[in-house]
Amino acid sequence: MKRYDLIVIGAGLAGLMAARTAVEMGARVLIAGGGMGALTLFGNTIDVLGRIPPGEDIAEGMSGFIDSFPEHPYARTGWEGVEKALDAFQELFPPPYHFSGVTRGNCLLPTGAGTMRPTFLIPATMASGVGMMPASTLVVGFRGFKDFQAETVSLHLRCRGAVIPFPRYRMGGMTAPAIARLMEDHSFVERLGEEIYQRMEGERFIGLPAFFGLREPVAAMKTLEAATGARVFEISILPPSIPGMRIYNRFHERLLQRGTAFLMGTPVSEAIVKDGRCRGIIVKNAPLGAGYQADRFILATGRFLGGGLWAGIERIVEPLFHVPVAQPSRRGEWFKGRFFDPEAHPVSQAGVETAADLRPLNEKGGIFLENLWAAGSILAHHQSIEEKSREGIDIATGYMAARQALAS
Amino acid sequence: MDYKTEVVIIGGGATGAGIARDLALRGIPSILVERGDFTSGASGRNQGLLHSGARYAVYDPEAARECVAENRILRHIAPHCIEPTGGLFVSLPEDGFEFRGEFIRACENAGIETVSLSPREALALEPGINPLLIGAVQVPDGAIDPFTLVVENIRDAESRGAVVFTHTEATGFLRDGDGVAGVVVRDLLEKKEFTISASWVINAAGAWANRILALAGLSIPMSLSKGSMLITNTRLSQRVLNRCRPPASGDIIVPNSTVSILGTTSLRVDAVESFEVLPEEAAFLVYELSLLVPEIKSERFIRAYAGVRPLIRSGETDDDRSLSRGFSLIDHQKENGISGLVTIAGGKLITCRLMAEKTVDFLCEKMGLRAPCTTAEQRLPGAGIGRSLQDRLLHMRREIPAARQEILCDCELVPRDEVEAVLKEGKVRELRDILHRTRIAKGTCQGGFCVYRLLGMLNELRRERNRGDSNEILMDFLEERWRGIRPILWGTALKEEELIESIYKGLFNLSGELSGGQEAGERGRR
Ligand SMILES: Cc1cc2nc3c(=O)[nH]c(=O)nc-3n(C[C@H](O)[C@H](O)[C@H](O)COP(=O)(O)OP(=O)(O)OC[C@H]3O[C@@H](n4cnc5c(N)ncnc54)[C@H](O)[C@@H]3O)c2cc1C
Repeated sequence: MKRYDLIVIGAGLAGLMAARTAVEMGARVLIAGGGMGALTLFGNTIDVLGRIPPGEDIAEGMSGFIDSFPEHPYARTGWEGVEKALDAFQELFPPPYHFSGVTRGNCLLPTGAGTMRPTFLIPATMASGVGMMPASTLVVGFRGFKDFQAETVSLHLRCRGAVIPFPRYRMGGMTAPAIARLMEDHSFVERLGEEIYQRMEGERFIGLPAFFGLREPVAAMKTLEAATGARVFEISILPPSIPGMRIYNRFHERLLQRGTAFLMGTPVSEAIVKDGRCRGIIVKNAPLGAGYQADRFILATGRFLGGGLWAGIERIVEPLFHVPVAQPSRRGEWFKGRFFDPEAHPVSQAGVETAADLRPLNEKGGIFLENLWAAGSILAHHQSIEEKSREGIDIATGYMAARQALAS
Repeated sequence: MDYKTEVVIIGGGATGAGIARDLALRGIPSILVERGDFTSGASGRNQGLLHSGARYAVYDPEAARECVAENRILRHIAPHCIEPTGGLFVSLPEDGFEFRGEFIRACENAGIETVSLSPREALALEPGINPLLIGAVQVPDGAIDPFTLVVENIRDAESRGAVVFTHTEATGFLRDGDGVAGVVVRDLLEKKEFTISASWVINAAGAWANRILALAGLSIPMSLSKGSMLITNTRLSQRVLNRCRPPASGDIIVPNSTVSILGTTSLRVDAVESFEVLPEEAAFLVYELSLLVPEIKSERFIRAYAGVRPLIRSGETDDDRSLSRGFSLIDHQKENGISGLVTIAGGKLITCRLMAEKTVDFLCEKMGLRAPCTTAEQRLPGAGIGRSLQDRLLHMRREIPAARQEILCDCELVPRDEVEAVLKEGKVRELRDILHRTRIAKGTCQGGFCVYRLLGMLNELRRERNRGDSNEILMDFLEERWRGIRPILWGTALKEEELIESIYKGLFNLSGELSGGQEAGERGRR
């Protein structure tokens, strides 16, 4: 049986980042994921800490934040840890499809609900959305593509909106992945550009749903810009997320090139633990079960959606290792009375507590297993949805967990 | 503008709607006012059981006989609102056989057909039942769709001249000496007041009856009981399942199209709008009913909701004024010396036609009018048109050319054309009205995806434009949705809720706090 230096459980952004970091350090890595994680559902831009107002220096904002929330995952990595991890992330995305920040702080991007949303690093295809001026912007949606409602976006952004039929196909019921494939066809994109040009009234910016293809989105954008004479940008839409899939694909490609083994589709069903160490994992792919061994393990299985946490009627558990989960004392306290309470629901803060080196803790506050680290949203004491910190936490803790694990 | 008519009905639940139809069929002009949309009261917050009468057979034979008769009538006039599933009364070991014997005899006396089944026979019909059962009795229970029933009664009444105002609240009475001569009402959306003068005012406000009476300085002895229910994601059984024991809390499962409804609890409350389902009520229902169907323990739920039952304290009412122990018709002239005002309250969804008949009979007698009731024979306008998921699929395949078919709601397969048709009818005044009239947002995601699409479509049709911020409507919807799902969030439901939160609070940034303060972003705030 092949033995790995590191097995990463979970193929979301945290797991991918951990695997990539370990591979760069020369480790033999296996990554085992049930699915592709929240990344391919909502990953668009890279949030670090959206609650820091744009214009404020992010380094300063982060150190203030870490001081106020000493249990937050960022308190483990520190701002330096986040910065280094983000550099490593950005290295994976050389131009044309690169990620960049506009300043040393957050910027605001329009969303599929027509709100403005703060974020830190944005892909090239969304960059023009930052400087967008409502009075000279046209937002274009497509008849039959229901996951982006151009009229809602334009109503709230106070710009002009148009809903047009898809060129050539003129049919409804299209999904973003299907359209993304069409967008890889140059002549289709040209037609699309012409149709949009027909609708323009001198606008200088064009907002479109984020479906500019998986492989060469910047080329599609350039084609549209040539046809319309305007700056074109993508706007995030209901899941799944094409920009998120681009990130996944890039990691996947690079990791495969470096010999990382991927085990996708079936969740890890069991962990073999002996004498305070994890010895291996079992993936049951009925009727067979296969075992995999490694010296170190990283748990990056996400929250409820990813399967990293599971809520019974009364208690929340971590189903694979049964790592203790910090949580409210009873279900009556899991949620706030209002959905849009400015504070996160207490259940969102539930998760795995770790030592300073990201190793999960047992009930007594000791190390749970000698060779197990945790990364990503499964960690306790963050409010990634409200804070807008999902990708930042994934990237920074994935990076740190891998370095810690390989240093041992 | 002020109005004048013969009869004003307060309340657009099953009772008020039934009265409007009955009056219209007898040629008596009426105006109905409803504070919300139809079925915003108990008629939209019940378990949807088409009683065979079996549930009342032992302790309330009179109510049981009423159910037998009304059950038969509804099957004739409203077959499209009914699923004749049949029902089982299941005896578990802890129930014993004592109640069962009495139950079968009582059903016989009330004219309810029963078939006794062995455990093996019962399990062959319903494999999900607890295999430890000791026996079961089959009865002709069924499921009823209250939304369609009420809306169809209203449609029929309107087509025969009745006038209906939704989102219009009765706020006071027009007085004429000692009598009542109509009502003062307020259009809650336009924020305008007007009056409707009438010879008779019927208080059919259900649990709100005393709020209405208070406007005339009156009250009836009534207490309120909240009942909570849970909706499962899948249909657990083909038939209605009851425990064969004296009726109690948490002992009945009613199938409804593709889901099942678990019920109910019973908690005394003071406020009529006590619609919150407590986490412990949800846990109680899951535990109790998993004794009947064990797989409930791992079932996914899609929503919890509660309704308030008005309980008329019969000890304090005269015997002669309650026409039945199930409901009361109160003539306030006789009772309090105030003429022109009648209260009809209590009963069941399935006895609403009968309640309407008795009310209108009473009015006719007072008016000296000889017009017989025909609601038991005349079928509702939609009778003969199917309503099940299969029917909708068939309809879609037949009516909508594939190329134009755009599905707004993926869980319940509601096409965009259906919503456009509802909009064309012109009765829709707010988002919730559309939700009442279609299956949108009734499926697994509870509108998490489709309401964004629905609002986009409305924005496109410019219907909501002059109503201002559609994100505010979206947030209100999500707040209301939250009340329904919060009590059942564990397991898979919680998992999927993380998706919805990630979309609306995360991706779309519709949340309390927001950095930035750009104008466009500002509007995402509350
Ligand atoms: C938990 C529960 C479960 C039930 N299960 C079943 C069942 O399975 N089968 C069955 O047959 N029956 C069942 N019932 C009973 C049934 O739901 C009710 O008997 C029936 O719906 C009552 O209808 P209604 O029109 O009298 O009252 P409601 O439906 O409550 O209608 C009253 C209406 O008056 C309106 N109103 C109030 N104040 C004003 C005002 N000032 N101006 C204008 N309008 C006003 C309200 O908005 C409301 O729409 C159940 C009831 C409950 C609570």
